[in-house]
Amino acid sequence: MNDVIICRCEGVRLSEIEQAIREGASAVPGVKKRTRAGMGPCQGRVCQRVVLQLLQQPPSEAGESPDALQRSRSPVRPTLLGDL
Amino acid sequence: MAENVIVVGGGIVGTSTAYYLAKMGIHVTLIEAQDIAAGTSGACDRAIMLQSKAPGPMLQLGLHGARIYETLEDELEADLEYRRGGGMILIETEEEMTAIRELVERQRQAGLDIALLSGEQARELQPGLGAHLLGTTWWAGDAEVNPLKVCFAMAQAAQRAGAAIRMGSKVTALLSERGRVVGVEAEGKRTYADAVVVALGVWTPLLLRTIGVELPIVPRKGQILVSERVPAFVSHNILSGAYIAAKHRKDGGKEEAQNPAGVGLSLGQTGSGSLLIGGSREFVGFDLSTTPQVIRAIGQSAVRLFPKMAGMRVIRAFAGLRPYTPDGRPVIGPVEEWPGLYVAAGHEGDGIALGPATGRIMANLAIGRPAGCDVAPFALSRFTQ
Ligand SMILES: Cc1cc2nc3c(=O)[nH]c(=O)nc-3n(C[C@H](O)[C@H](O)[C@H](O)COP(=O)(O)OP(=O)(O)OC[C@H]3O[C@@H](n4cnc5c(N)ncnc54)[C@H](O)[C@@H]3O)c2cc1C
Ligand code: FES
Repeated sequence: MNDVIICRCEGVRLSEIEQAIREGASAVPGVKKRTRAGMGPCQGRVCQRVVLQLLQQPPSEAGESPDALQRSRSPVRPTLLGDL
Repeated sequence: MAENVIVVGGGIVGTSTAYYLAKMGIHVTLIEAQDIAAGTSGACDRAIMLQSKAPGPMLQLGLHGARIYETLEDELEADLEYRRGGGMILIETEEEMTAIRELVERQRQAGLDIALLSGEQARELQPGLGAHLLGTTWWAGDAEVNPLKVCFAMAQAAQRAGAAIRMGSKVTALLSERGRVVGVEAEGKRTYADAVVVALGVWTPLLLRTIGVELPIVPRKGQILVSERVPAFVSHNILSGAYIAAKHRKDGGKEEAQNPAGVGLSLGQTGSGSLLIGGSREFVGFDLSTTPQVIRAIGQSAVRLFPKMAGMRVIRAFAGLRPYTPDGRPVIGPVEEWPGLYVAAGHEGDGIALGPATGRIMANLAIGRPAGCDVAPFALSRFTQ
């Protein structure tokens, strides 16, 4: 199987995310802390959905629980320090 | 002697305690409500800074911790991004100069040969510093580490040595029999042991209260900004004099009125290249929100000290809760009125530096061995009597 990149900003591959889940990550923050997926400039806007799907395999009936999502954190958009 | 120990809490203190217990051949169960590093140890900075410790018991514990870190990567067989790059406390005003001179003098008497450099020397050592800077301290022994990596590596090494780790399992009660703590209840399941170590950081009082023990740990929020990845910018730990003043200040002073959120610059660079730009010190309960005013104030103090930073982008901000105690020292030791129960919590802004040392001490105490150092200054009884 090809080991695709899931988090483009941080260059994190599928196998690394699967490994984090095997180590006990049960929600998005746990995957993020173990692999850096979601820590990039886009703050997980691109990769979080896929990470969430991987966390839910086999798919759970509960669907997306809001708790599993990372909190949105200000500043929402990258901001120049000089403009703060 | 205890053969079977439960550690409650999977932050740096709990995972370290579990590791040292497992290493001594003790049967350990670590129980964590969410995930390893889900609490303060996953929302903090990376300094192992001795310069900033109050001379006395805290500095002694810090020295103990710093020695452990020197060989920890080999011991845990893991990359922890440990780097001994030195540290600076920046001085911007004459007032800070006076206070920091005094701190440096006391640290020198305690054996830390901290240098006091001029503004010019400071700018040479750390390019990019503003022209108004009066001077800086410099100590080559300060270090840094990735706290997430320490927690995960401690937990994994504990598991390799035989520890059981239960995550997603919130402890709701301490079980007692005939005046002794004999176990815990989590998610309706009871687990028994010879000793229970509570390492819950800011959440410690909530569990101890269920058994009638009060201790004065309160959350002190810190907000931190994270920059985009930038080329090597700082190679050591940097604190501002204002940070030190906020850390050691007493409530209600003039300083508090001028700077209610306790904003003072702390700066470090992660292994991946992002700058961690802190921070604040706020008593706002368990609230973890980041607030525009404080983010702005932190950004402004960064740009004041490093004018070039005006052109760098902040990609996010986060907040963590320091486990504050009134005298600035953690609680490490037994709960006298409950044999079998131990506490290791309350490290405020120093838990990363002090976590491994605390774990080693706590592991010894929980199985009835000598601590290996003077723990009297950390006794719970100083607050309960
Ligand atoms: C902004 C900021 C910057 C900092 N910078 C530094 C620094 O540069 N250097 C330094 O040395 N220190 C620093 N610190 C301090 C350091 O982060 C803390 O002192 C340390 O992380 C505390 O670790 P702990 O293990 O005691 O607590 P925590 O890491 O909070 O661990 C407690 C654990 O208990 C779990 N838990 C809670 N309730 C229950 C329950 N009922 N049952 C089971 N589990 C439960 C939580 O999920 C959590 O994982 C900083 C702190 C902050 C906030
Ligand atoms: S793709 Fe993962 S943080 Fe941007």
